[in-house]
Formats: sequence, structure tokens, C-alpha cells
Amino acid sequence: MKDKIMHFSIEHPKRVLWFTLLITLLVASQIARIHIDTDPENMLPEEQHDRVVHNQIKERFQLYDLIVVGMVNEQGIYNSQSLENLRDISEQIMQIEGVVAHELLSLATVDNISQEGPGTIRFNWMLPKEELTDDDAQQVQANVSRLPMFLDSLVSSDGKAAAVYVPIESKELSHEISQKIQALTSQLEGSDQYHITGLPVAEDTFGIEMFKQMAISAPLAGLAIFLLMWVFFRSFSLITAPMLVAMSTVLVTMGLLIGAGFTVHIMSSMIPIFLMPIAVVDSIHILSEFAEIHKPGARVKDSIRHVVGNLFQPMLFTSITSAVGFASLAFTPIPPVQVFGLFVAFGIVLAFLLTIIFIPAYIAVLSPESIEKLAQKHAGNESAIDLRGPLNIFHTLSGKYAKPAISAALAISVFSFLGIQHIQINDNPVRWFKEDHRIRVADKVLNEHFAGTYDAYLVLKKDSSAQELSFDESLHALAENNPAVKNLLSAAPESFRDFSEKISWYVQASDDALFEATEEADIEAFESVLMLAEKAQSSSKYFASPEALAYVENLQAALQGGGVVGKSNSFADLVKTVYRELQGGEQEYYRLPDNARQTAQTVLSYQSSHRPNDLWHFVTPDYNEVAVWMQLKSGDNKDMAEVIKQVNAYIESNPLPDEVSLEWGGLTYINVIWQDAMVNGMLYSLMGAFVMVFAVMVILFRSVIFGVLAMIPLSFTIAFIYGLIGWIGKDYDMPVAVLSSLTLGLSVDFAIHFLDRARTIQSETGDWKQTLSLMFDEPGIAILRNAVVISIGFLPLLAAPLVPYNTVGIFLASIMAASCVVTLILLPAILTVLQNLIFKNQTLKETV
Amino acid sequence: MRNLINKTIISGGLALLAFHAYAQDISVDDIVKKANHVAFYQGNDGRAENRMKFVDSSGREQMRQFTILRKDVGETDGDQLFFVLFERPTDVNGTAFLVKKHINKDDDRWLYLPSLDLVKRISAGDKRTSFVGSDFFYEDVSGRALTEDTHVLVETTDTHYVVDNIPKDPASVEFKHFKVWINKQTFLPEKTEYYKDGEKLYRTIEALKHEVVDGFVTVTEMKVSNLETGGYTISQMRFIKYDMGTPDSVFSERSLRTPPQQWLSRPKP
Repeated sequence: MKDKIMHFSIEHPKRVLWFTLLITLLVASQIARIHIDTDPENMLPEEQHDRVVHNQIKERFQLYDLIVVGMVNEQGIYNSQSLENLRDISEQIMQIEGVVAHELLSLATVDNISQEGPGTIRFNWMLPKEELTDDDAQQVQANVSRLPMFLDSLVSSDGKAAAVYVPIESKELSHEISQKIQALTSQLEGSDQYHITGLPVAEDTFGIEMFKQMAISAPLAGLAIFLLMWVFFRSFSLITAPMLVAMSTVLVTMGLLIGAGFTVHIMSSMIPIFLMPIAVVDSIHILSEFAEIHKPGARVKDSIRHVVGNLFQPMLFTSITSAVGFASLAFTPIPPVQVFGLFVAFGIVLAFLLTIIFIPAYIAVLSPESIEKLAQKHAGNESAIDLRGPLNIFHTLSGKYAKPAISAALAISVFSFLGIQHIQINDNPVRWFKEDHRIRVADKVLNEHFAGTYDAYLVLKKDSSAQELSFDESLHALAENNPAVKNLLSAAPESFRDFSEKISWYVQASDDALFEATEEADIEAFESVLMLAEKAQSSSKYFASPEALAYVENLQAALQGGGVVGKSNSFADLVKTVYRELQGGEQEYYRLPDNARQTAQTVLSYQSSHRPNDLWHFVTPDYNEVAVWMQLKSGDNKDMAEVIKQVNAYIESNPLPDEVSLEWGGLTYINVIWQDAMVNGMLYSLMGAFVMVFAVMVILFRSVIFGVLAMIPLSFTIAFIYGLIGWIGKDYDMPVAVLSSLTLGLSVDFAIHFLDRARTIQSETGDWKQTLSLMFDEPGIAILRNAVVISIGFLPLLAAPLVPYNTVGIFLASIMAASCVVTLILLPAILTVLQNLIFKNQTLKETV
Repeated sequence: MRNLINKTIISGGLALLAFHAYAQDISVDDIVKKANHVAFYQGNDGRAENRMKFVDSSGREQMRQFTILRKDVGETDGDQLFFVLFERPTDVNGTAFLVKKHINKDDDRWLYLPSLDLVKRISAGDKRTSFVGSDFFYEDVSGRALTEDTHVLVETTDTHYVVDNIPKDPASVEFKHFKVWINKQTFLPEKTEYYKDGEKLYRTIEALKHEVVDGFVTVTEMKVSNLETGGYTISQMRFIKYDMGTPDSVFSERSLRTPPQQWLSRPKP
């Protein structure tokens, strides 16, 4: 099979080249249909429970994703100029397409509730609509300081910052809207500074920059690899081949992904960067061996046949194992990661096919002169970097100092193991930007002044089904005794939206029926229905009761003491504030009303304001659910997780009232959920991949011992890399989690090449010492070259302004370095120590 | 005289052609005056039971039921007195509003909260705040002074005068201007559209149903739609009665705590 393929490509090279080009262009044309998706929410499947709940909460409480615009003035914002700026910017932002204007929240859009003489309460815009004086500004400061709902949310208590919360229709518009806001703020006069942040902006802006990075980092990495290969092989025409393989692999894979209708997510945007090294690796083995083997004067076609024949098996093995490693990502519960894993796996297989079909064809069409030149150069050892130095060291270490080398490896393993214990699982989309990025700066400044720009919602929900059941029973009992009531029941709609709507219908219907009724008995019966319904109506408003609100109040107080939640706002805070103003404004009245009727009437007064609908962000119209809006100073998942822990602890010692349940929403919370899914998913997928790769190794090598040996470098490397992460305190975040698969795929590569060649050479020489020397010739050089090319080739990623790209760059380099060193020292050292055991079987098998 | 014309048109309808000819000559000031009268000043006093349903963008309903009493002060369409008593939902039963509407100065407003046994004077900065949480503004219930806007007749259709109203003090209101469709025959303002900057239509008021009550064309169902929130409020007026001879004493602070049942109760059919 492989011979047939090779024969075809060597004999009909031009056809192969044209065909590859055609297919590549055809599939790559799909890339034009690219659709970027940076919404981390999509890390969870659409039907995932927490995501569904999150969206329901948004709908029920009419909540939107928020961009946070902060105005900071170190001299204080309570001057006419700053407040007018705040008013102007609020009004201008409302005009921007995609902004939910009526829900925009700032001092300029809210009401002040105040006392105006004895017995008089005043509702008026917090910022007068007319021209402001500095006296007005002072008055505003005095007014705001009385309203706890606004303090540290709309303005900072140090008087130096004000915030505009900009609700947006769709997260995808965040970057565009934030750009427009920035353009607006830059035109304002005065000494106020403006900052824009919020999770949606961070996420969407990341997408835009990511798109740029796809166009910058990946090609840059390609260029670096190209230059390094030139250093090693000194033949542009020859090293163009791996570049073409890499490019074709990347283009076809991305073309297929986009053509199949998948969005390009943060993960899939990195596919080119992951595929490039993998695609190049095999070609480097071929070129390296070709350069070694092809001596001046020899027939090119024979040399190719020889090289590909030697390398076919290890290349097939490495491709299969790498592909298995990535394909195992399909077992994670995260759709973008599944897509990423499967397409990288596809890319690896494609790269293998291209390597064995395209590379021979390419070399076959090269002019004999250029190959001749290569052979001569190589024979003259003109390579700019001499890799024999380090190889000799490795040779000595694994030969003479095999035991100390193994001991050192064991020590490092212990070090790694301890480091892994220190791993901190954490992520935060804002931290995907470098510290000097304006979003990071805004995040820092605004969270210094305010209670927090990250939000999470805690929803308490009363189940009214028991109450509804008893209402239905009473209703039917009344219907049994009176035919008119029975008629009323049969006139009712088949189903109601909820219990509250049902009650409301019966109140209205019985009231109307009463007006029409003439018979004394009917009047009495309808009055009973009306009474029943009205009673149900009052008692069904669970969160109007002081007991229910007190629970919310205490929970909030506990969270406030927990140190992570900067501030929380709830229906209880709103009721307490309005109640106080109704009672004359003295602080002693800042408390919950005595009964549900008082709550209802307090709320009715509030509803005569400019923004009555703000109420429904905190409580549902049926008063069966309340949402506590929590402001967090940090969007770190570990902090959100801490808040969840605190709430659970509170509930543990203060059980939720009967029939009340708890739900979470908000982007900060959702991030924790997908992180958990990711970490667990990655762990499973890594373990699954480990087992599968081991199985594949045993099957391919037809030896358990060789299977175990092949797993050593990757186990060591993975442990080492993650141990290092633990020790240096780098958060285990999304890119780091995904890199585990790459580690698995790449470090097994070197081991396979090494073991396969070692076994072949050993069977030829029969003497391990001699084999070891030979191993540090051509195979050692190829492995080291690969490691150097890829390590250095990915350093351009460090220049990207996005932290996940830097992470990938650093880790690719470390992975390559670590697994190369392990493969070239630890593996031969083990073989040296255990040569008798290992190769006795080997020779036995070979002779059988 | 004005009333007479109205009544003639409503009851007769024979004068249609004559009216048409007359209509060509009517000034925009007369149109808005008549419309204002029909909408807010018919009879010397009146009562109605109002059931308001607010429906939010996701279809959730809330209901408020109240009785409203009105009395005009003076002969011309000027100051007015209002008394509003809430019945439902039961947890706000007994809550009452007293409003003394002034054309040339801020209204006086009182609120009584029975569960807190509290009478509060409410001083609102403007009249364009929500009426008890509905999509109606106070101004929609009690009327907007004609002197606050400049009126322009922008179109005369077969059935309607379309009048554009531009506020004289733009800072006092949230709209840029509003257009009213006034029925040529009845002078009932049947539709109002409010526009924001950039000609963005964001709010409408429609008269969905009307009846002739005690000889006056009266809107019995109105709808306010908030196009920004996607919510709307429907107000149904029932048990309407005009010219009951309600005394001024009904509109006193005393009534807040002790509702004047005699005048609030439903008229005998």
C-alpha cells in the first residue's frame, strides 16, 4: 500500500502537486464564510442547565449584558462640568444602535427620592435637566449619599467616580459599541477620565484581537519556522516543502471547519498554531534523513524511497497517537473544544498523508542541481548550528551516566508532583489581555472606586404549586354548590401562564359576574369566589412578606461580610429606602415594613417615579422570585466560586424557607460553570487519551515494554509542565487545559521515532553501545532539530497582546524542550540500564 | 356653543357636509382646544371605574382597579380636581390619590397609604412619571396644558386632523414632539405618537373603544404602548357618569382617609 502510494507520487509528481494545490484552494475558499464567536457562554451547550437558567433569569428579570463606562476625576466628580459630562454622555450613549436605551443606568437616568418639607416627599431626576451650577452638584452629592442603592454602584463613595451601566441587546455588539462610546468620551471637555470595561466588552474585544492574531501570529510563527529550517538545511527550495504541507494542512482544515458551518471560537482560532508544528515535524524527519542519506551522485528517487520506507512506520504511529490525543477532546462536554479536538485530529491525519504523498513528489520534481547542492552542503556539514555538541552531552548522560540521569528524572518527577498539588484552577476573560491593555486598566481603576464591575445574580424562587392546588380545590368546592360558579369555571381559559395570572382572572371574572348577578345565591357564591381569589392574591405574593425579605436581607449581610462580594442590591434594599422616605427620611426607618400590605403600598409609591420598571429587575411581578444583584470586584472564577461557597455555607446554617429554591445567573457565574466543565472534561479526556495512546503503542510496537517506554517521556513532560504551572503560580486556565492534549500528542512523537529507530538499529547491530552511538547520529539530530524549530518557531506568539496566545507560545516551547530532552536522555538511559531485559525480548521476537 | 356643536354632530350626523365645509376653516388652535375638551373636560364633573392591565414584554400581566372622580374648576377648560381610590389588588385597597391640577403652576398631589396610615404630599418634578407603575403617565390621565406646546396642523385626512406638538421647553419632557390624530367629527384624539431624537417613535396612545355616555363621546378603552420596553397598558373605563353635581368637599384631604362612598359608588343603572 505505502509502496504503491510512494511509487505513484515519485513517478507522477506533477499530477500530485497540481491535485494538492487544487484541493487546497477549493476547500480554503470556504474560509471566506468565516463567522467568529467569542462568547464564552458558548463553551456550554445551548441546552446546558446553568445556561438555560441564566437565560431564563435574564428574561424574567429583564436583565441585559452590561458595558460599564466609568468616569473618574481625582478632584471629584461633583462639579457642574463633570456632572454635565455625565449627563451628556449618558444621553449620547442612549442614541447608539444596539444599546437598550430605556434601561441605561447612571445618575442622569435615575430618580432622587427626597424630603421636601414636612409630610412632603419628592421624586425628581437625580441630575436636573437644566444647566447645572456647582451648588447643584453639591446637592446631588448630598442626595446620592442618602441612597444606598446608588452608592458604590452609580457613584463611588469617595466622590471621585461615576459609572454608566450600558445594557446591550447582544454581546456581539460590545466591541463596536465600546468603540463608539470611546469616540464620544474623547470629545468631552474637562479633566474627567473615561474607562470602559465589563465582561461582554472584554470577550468581544478579545474576539476582534484574536481575529487579528490569526492573521499575524500564525503566519509569523510560520515564518520563524521557515527561517530556522533554512538555518538547518540551507536550501530554500527544499524547506519550502514542509511549509507547503503546513499551509495546505491549515487551509484545508480551517476551510472544512468553516465550510461545515462551525463558528471560529477562541479555541478553533488556535488550530493553525497547533497544526503548524505538527505538520512540519514529519517533514523535518524526512528532510533530515534525506539530507543525511542522500549522498552526491546518488539517485534522488532511490534516496526518497529509502527515507520514506524508514520513516513510514514511526510517522504513521506518531500521527495516529497525536490524532487520538486530540480526538479525545471530543469527550469533553464543551462544544468548541470538541470541534477543536476533532479538527486538529483531522489536520494531523491530513498532514501525515500530505507528508508521504506530497513531499516525495515535491523532492522528485526538484531540479537535480538543487538537490546536488544540498547534498554537497550537507556533506560539508555547513549547517549554521551544530547540534552535535548537545547530542554528545545527551549521549554521554544516557550512556555513561544512565543511573544518575534516571535518579535526576525521578527527583524532578517528585518536584513536579508537588507542584501539581499547588495548581490553582482559575480564569477570567479580562485577564486574557495584558496588564497594560486599556480593558485591564479600566478594570483595575473602576474596581478600585466601585463595589465591582462584575455581576452575578442570585435568585430565590418560591414554589406556589401547593398553594395553587389548594386554591383549585376550594374553587371546585364552590362550583359544586353553585351552577353559576360552575359556568364561570368553564369560561376560564384552558391554561394560565402562572398562578398569579389565574388568580387575577378569577378576581376580575367574579367581580364582573357579581355586577351581572341578580339571584341572591349567585351573588353570595361569586362573593365567595372573589374573596377566595383576593385572599390567594395577597398571600401568593411571597416576597412581599417581611419574613421572606428578612431572609434575603440576612443573606446579603452575610455575603457583605464574606469579603468577595463588593456590594449586593435587592428588592429589600429598594423597599427599605422608599419606606424610610415615606416615613420622613430618618435613618431609623431604614428597615423592612411590618407586613406585606405595607410593602405593596411602599412599592406603589415607588412606582410613581420615572423608572418604575427598575423594580422588576429585583422582583418578578407575581412577587414569587427575587434576584439579588451582586457586584464583584474581580471576575476571577476562583472568586466567584468562593461566593458560591459562601452562599452554600449560609444556606447550610440558615436553611432556605419552605418551598423556596435558589438559582444562579450572570456571566461571572456562567464562566465558573464552563471552567468546571472544562477542567473535569480535560482531566477525563487526558486520562482517556493516555489509555488509548498506550493501547495504540502496545499494538503498534507489538510489545508491552515498548508501549510503557513510549509513555515515559510524555508522562514525564506532562507532569513536569503542570508541576511547573503549580510552582510558578500560573492559573490553570482554558489554554493551559487544552495544552495537555498537545503535550500528549507532541511528546509521544519523539519517543516513537526514537524507539522505532532504536529497535531497528539494535536488530541490525545487536549491540546497544553501538546502537546508542548510531541513534545520536541521524535520528537524534532529527528529533533535536524538530524541538529547536518548533520551540523557537513559536516564540513570536509572545509578542501577541493576548495572554492565551503568549501562554500557548511559552508552553509549546517548554513542551518541545522538555519532551525532547526526556526522549534523548531518559529513554536511552533507561534502555541502557534495562538493555538486557528489553532487547532480549526484542531479538527473540525478531527471530521468531 | 362648543358643546352644542359637538352634540349636534354626534347625535345628528346629518350636518356632515356642512361640518366638512366648516372644517376647512378651523384653526389648529381651535382643533386642539376642542380635542382637549373632549378628552378631559366633558361635563362639569364625572366618575369612572378603571381597570388597568399592564402587560410586559414577556406577557406577564398586572392589574390595578380604581375609581376616579373628577370635577372642573371654573367655566373654562382650566384647573381640575381628581380623586382616585384603589380597590385592587387587595394589598393596595384603600390607597387614595388627590390631585389638584393647575394649568399655570405645578399640580398639588396627595397620596394616602392606608396600611401605613400615612398621608404624603407628593411633589413630582414633572408630570411625566409613571402612573402607579403603568405605561400611563400622570399627564396622560389628567391632561397636558395646551400652552406647553406649539401646535402645527400637519395633515388633514378624510377623517382626521393630524396635529404635531412641539414642546416649548424641551428639557422638561422626554419627547422631541408628538403627533395626535384627532377625529374630525368627534374631535376625539384617537391616536398619539411620541417621538424621540432622530424621529424615533417610542410610545403610542390609542383610543380603542368609545361610547356616547350621557350625551358625551367618551373613550372607554385606551392603550398605551411602550415601544422601547415592548410592554403596554390597557385601561378600561366602566360605569361612567357625568354631571353628578359632586361637591368640592369630596376633593379634600379628609376624603383620603375617609373615602366619599356616596360619590364613589356605582351609579344605579
